Amino acid sequence: MEPLRQLAKEKLRGKKAIAVMSAKGGVGKSLVSALLALSLRGAVLVDLDVHTMATTKLFGLEDKLHEVTKNGIEPFKLGELGVVSLGGIVKDKYVVLPGGNAGEVMESLVAYANLGDANYVVFDLPPGLGDEVLTLERLTDFFPVVVTTPSAVSVKVVEYVMRYLNEREKRPLLVVNMAYMDCGDDKVARPFGDLKNAEDLAKRYNAPVVELPIDPSLESYIGKVHEYDGVVKGKVKKELVPYLT
Amino acid sequence: MHEWSVADAVIRTVVNWASENHVTQVKKVKVGIPSFSFLDVEILKEAFDTMKGDSPLDKAELEVVFKDPIFKCRNCGLTFSLKDVSDQLESLKGEFGEEYPLHLMPALAPSFLKCPRCGSHDIVAETQDITIDGIEVEESGTAQTVG
Ligand SMILES: [Zn+2]
Repeated sequence: MEPLRQLAKEKLRGKKAIAVMSAKGGVGKSLVSALLALSLRGAVLVDLDVHTMATTKLFGLEDKLHEVTKNGIEPFKLGELGVVSLGGIVKDKYVVLPGGNAGEVMESLVAYANLGDANYVVFDLPPGLGDEVLTLERLTDFFPVVVTTPSAVSVKVVEYVMRYLNEREKRPLLVVNMAYMDCGDDKVARPFGDLKNAEDLAKRYNAPVVELPIDPSLESYIGKVHEYDGVVKGKVKKELVPYLT
Repeated sequence: MHEWSVADAVIRTVVNWASENHVTQVKKVKVGIPSFSFLDVEILKEAFDTMKGDSPLDKAELEVVFKDPIFKCRNCGLTFSLKDVSDQLESLKGEFGEEYPLHLMPALAPSFLKCPRCGSHDIVAETQDITIDGIEVEESGTAQTVG
């Protein structure tokens, strides 16, 4: 009997779990997770990327510690959104863990968090296929959102994740981040390459594709991403959210 | 406060076990807790007693056994105990206060404790997180040990 796993499973029961995954770092996975969680009604974002903890940086929550009540670890509140991060437990300490412990830490985070009556739990997973993915599989039947950029190398690496999910009989949604830039007059620039690689990949795995644009103004929202309401969020709301609701 | 979450985890797990095994009355639940989590037994028992009602646990007693882990450094091979890293533990508690990381998540130990001989964080602890080490049921009156 494993009390932690039991509690974590029960906390997720009846909620839709969405796992934002990538094979590669630096593709904007945490940003996609954040904008997605902000666009869903009644969501808790759980940051499982314990090595970068980009989520806390995006929301300006560095150095803040979670409050602990009788109901568990209270998520940080940003409007309607709740955010749970290991950063809120360990502050700015580095986290170095053997494999088995990583899974256990993740189970603890889910088990002890007060997920309340949230409808959605969005998991920001670390890059690659590690303990976090396996642990999440043990806890819940999640919906995978796989993030890549248009670059050939990113698409190639992401294929491992797609293949794995396919073998596990999950049908992911492929999100191509930083796909294009709107230049006005119906012109778009594609500085990271065309969409062909990503589209081929999606076709092979029978996955729908959503393209997200580049928005240079996003940079100025690091630390207050919850205040951002620009084109990327607009796309997330309009094209990504319908696949998940 | 974290004790309430731990009690919640224990109760839900035993309630599930009871329903799967058609047990209607549990007498005692034996729980193992890593000692370095410094959970408050009084608060844990109070939480357990408050939340157990209306279940096969409503008359159950909670027994807490603190487990002292044995650490092994995978870098230099040293085997050490909690006592050998008590200074590290104390400074951690001093820095974070009551809800310090190992209180909430004992599995974080390798991040916060290092080998007293070589300084490596590549350490493994023999005992991990909370475990249910035994359940005594009314029907037979004998203790049953469960994984
Ligand atoms: Zn050592």
